[in-house]
Amino acid sequence: MEKRVVITASAAITPIGHHKDEVIDSLVNGKSGVKELRDDKLLTDRVASKVFGTVSCPIEFNFERKYRKTMGPVAYYACQVVKEALESSGLDKGFISSGRLGVAFGSTHGSPTVQRDIYKTFFSHSQSKFSSIGAVDYLKSMVHTTAVNITKMFGITGRVISSSTACTTSSQSIGFGYEAVKYGLQDAMICGGADEYDTTTVAVFDNLLACSTDFNDTPHLTPRPFDTKRDGLVVGEGAGALLLEEYEFAKKRGAGIIGEVIGFSCNNNGGDLILPNMNGITETIKLGLQNAKIGPDEVDFVCAHATATKMGDVAEAMAIYKAYGDEPYVTGLKSYMGHTMGSCGVIEAIITLYMMEQGIIAPTLNLDEVDERCSMIRHTKKLRESDIRIAAIQNFAFGGVNTSLLIKKFE
Amino acid sequence: MTREEIQSKILIVFKEEFEITNPGLDENLTEKYDFDSIDALELLGEIETLLGSELTRDEKKASMDIRTINQICDYIEQLAKKRIS
Repeated sequence: MEKRVVITASAAITPIGHHKDEVIDSLVNGKSGVKELRDDKLLTDRVASKVFGTVSCPIEFNFERKYRKTMGPVAYYACQVVKEALESSGLDKGFISSGRLGVAFGSTHGSPTVQRDIYKTFFSHSQSKFSSIGAVDYLKSMVHTTAVNITKMFGITGRVISSSTACTTSSQSIGFGYEAVKYGLQDAMICGGADEYDTTTVAVFDNLLACSTDFNDTPHLTPRPFDTKRDGLVVGEGAGALLLEEYEFAKKRGAGIIGEVIGFSCNNNGGDLILPNMNGITETIKLGLQNAKIGPDEVDFVCAHATATKMGDVAEAMAIYKAYGDEPYVTGLKSYMGHTMGSCGVIEAIITLYMMEQGIIAPTLNLDEVDERCSMIRHTKKLRESDIRIAAIQNFAFGGVNTSLLIKKFE
Repeated sequence: MTREEIQSKILIVFKEEFEITNPGLDENLTEKYDFDSIDALELLGEIETLLGSELTRDEKKASMDIRTINQICDYIEQLAKKRIS
């Protein structure tokens, strides 16, 4: 039997704020979180893109050493947002460790900061053969470091899913978590993703000529999804967590319900691992609608992946038009934050929930002149007071992975 | 290195690296301070730095039953002597 899955808590660390009020203020006032790329003393001089979606708010990671010792920065981010989400949920410790709460959490890779330190050891000219790699370096740099540090810190004993599919990491986390609750495998799942400051990712996209470089001196003017002057994506950092619960369970314990996940889809383009694919995206949108058992006309808002690459935005706009027509408002939230990689799906889902609650739709920042190849859809060009009843959050990743999440305002 | 020097250096390592301040010399570190297998492996790295040489596999295995600061000091004392001779 399929169960209803509701969202009962959220927390995010983003380039446009840590808490809900800060994020909403940035959306309403058009504040960008894109800043000058911080110097890493390694790669920054060699990459052409000098901008980064930067988390600049102070965050007190006051974890005990017994938890801290196996965490790189990415796991700090992950555990902080999960801590905030669990604290606000009111779930008791007995349930958290009961085996009925699971974790679906990931990052693009383990901590790149720690990985770099390991490589430095390998490639340094030091003759020292001892103490070269710390005992915990693997635990900090392994691909499921976020998920298992969460289990350890909070004593979670349910199932563990650790997606690591680049830009669809956290949308998959939410989707797989949703399926775990929907089919009764768990009563609740804490879902999300995180990625830390990392210039390796910048260098990778830079080499592919996919990073923005024209606005190095004016970081707030990039990225520019769907705009004629867009020149590529901006890599960023951040984290987000959503708590999903089975509806009857949440209702029984008196949880505050902030939304409902009504559908999820995931497919693959089945071909090129880099190029965007309009057919693949269209198909995942249609599969998501089928999964949610709704028609395309019921979706009021599309939170587009919209990385601001030349080809990606066009393929996505065409797919949105093909699946939804020109009715739903479309916003590319990366225009505010850059591309927060493994955390983008969950952060965009959380911001969509904020907008649902506030009755607003934020515009795509820096969208001054819509590229005519993207003009067939209904772009949000200015802040709107508008109720979102059903929203679609779509994300696409290297490797040809596509996801669509359907979220409904709780009624 | 004298026994006192070893003990002093190990207590500094425990304070700075493991955030354990002034543990009793015969207290069970696992029971009292949650000093776990990951900490034990980190400690071996610190001991290598202290001795200025790599530990052999057998030497590492010999550390597995160590539970107290005094036992750690005994272990290092033996290793130091072995390296001198």
